[in-house]
Amino acid sequence: MKATKADVASVLFPAIYRRQVLVLLLLHPGRKLHVREISRLTGTTAGTMNKELTRLHEAGLLDRERVGNQVHYSANRSHPIYPELAGILRKTVGIADVLIEAIAPIVDEVELSFIYGSVARGSETAGSDVDLLVVGSVDFGAAVDALHGVEKRLGREVNPKVYTQREWNSKRKAGDSFVTEILKGPKILLVGEIDEPRKPGRNKS
Amino acid sequence: MSLENLVGISLEKVTPSKQTVSRLLEAASRHISDAKVEQVSMETRFGSAYTAIRMLADAGLHAHGYRTLASRPGHHQTAIQTLSHTFGLESAALIRLDALRRQRNVAEYEGDTVPRSALVECIRQAEVLSAVATNWLKANRPDLH
Repeated sequence: MKATKADVASVLFPAIYRRQVLVLLLLHPGRKLHVREISRLTGTTAGTMNKELTRLHEAGLLDRERVGNQVHYSANRSHPIYPELAGILRKTVGIADVLIEAIAPIVDEVELSFIYGSVARGSETAGSDVDLLVVGSVDFGAAVDALHGVEKRLGREVNPKVYTQREWNSKRKAGDSFVTEILKGPKILLVGEIDEPRKPGRNKS
Repeated sequence: MSLENLVGISLEKVTPSKQTVSRLLEAASRHISDAKVEQVSMETRFGSAYTAIRMLADAGLHAHGYRTLASRPGHHQTAIQTLSHTFGLESAALIRLDALRRQRNVAEYEGDTVPRSALVECIRQAEVLSAVATNWLKANRPDLH
């Protein structure tokens, strides 16, 4: 098992339901959901979820609002740690989590992978693609096939850039403007390390 | 969805002609050959292979009596999606073709570089599609081939 950012998530948020509900509400600010919807989306019982939601509300992280005979929950965006917490979630269990799972079947052929562009910057709009860099021996078609399945779940298209290790290294060395720009910009790391690609030199193709 | 349902939305009707089908098929072959020229950039080679795919998709529509409304946004996407109706492509192939269309968009409009992997896949898909188109025409519309 390769060390990924998902491991950080399970250390920081060991309670899986709490993690799920935080992603659901904090990464979709403005979204108001009632208990039964939340439990359906996270695959929990309403009773378990209700306890979780009550605690998060008491801690001030969620707003609660009564609408008719339903109780709606949403992110409390004015909480002092909201921006940081949402940032941590985005970089750990949010999109990254889903993508790590998606690339698991091809991960042995991947040396380095990270999200760049608007999603990594946190400036994505409703129509933004997820820009994903993949360095390794995996072929483009196989990467597309692996990623296609999660597009519906993410509500976004995933656009992979697949480089071989050699191609990536030579572009880096040559100061290619596209590569320089994505290396300078914000990234969400999924596999490998930026400065030391895993098993350097293995991939000579 | 049927092709007829898209008339006026993203397609219009045309009268199929053997000349047009042949012209598109021949142009697609030239584009595939050009995509293999090592002396030019990855982006140019990729663009050429992608154009071949689009021409083959257009040939499929033409053989059925349609063409895309080029004035509408997304006419490349339409041409690719209709391949399931025109040449009977499986959704697995459409997924890869559509991914290539998106690679082409970021290369063309945002100046992204094209990795070799995308070029290799684009040429492979163009060659497969070329064979599929030829076989389909032979079997279903020999009068147009």
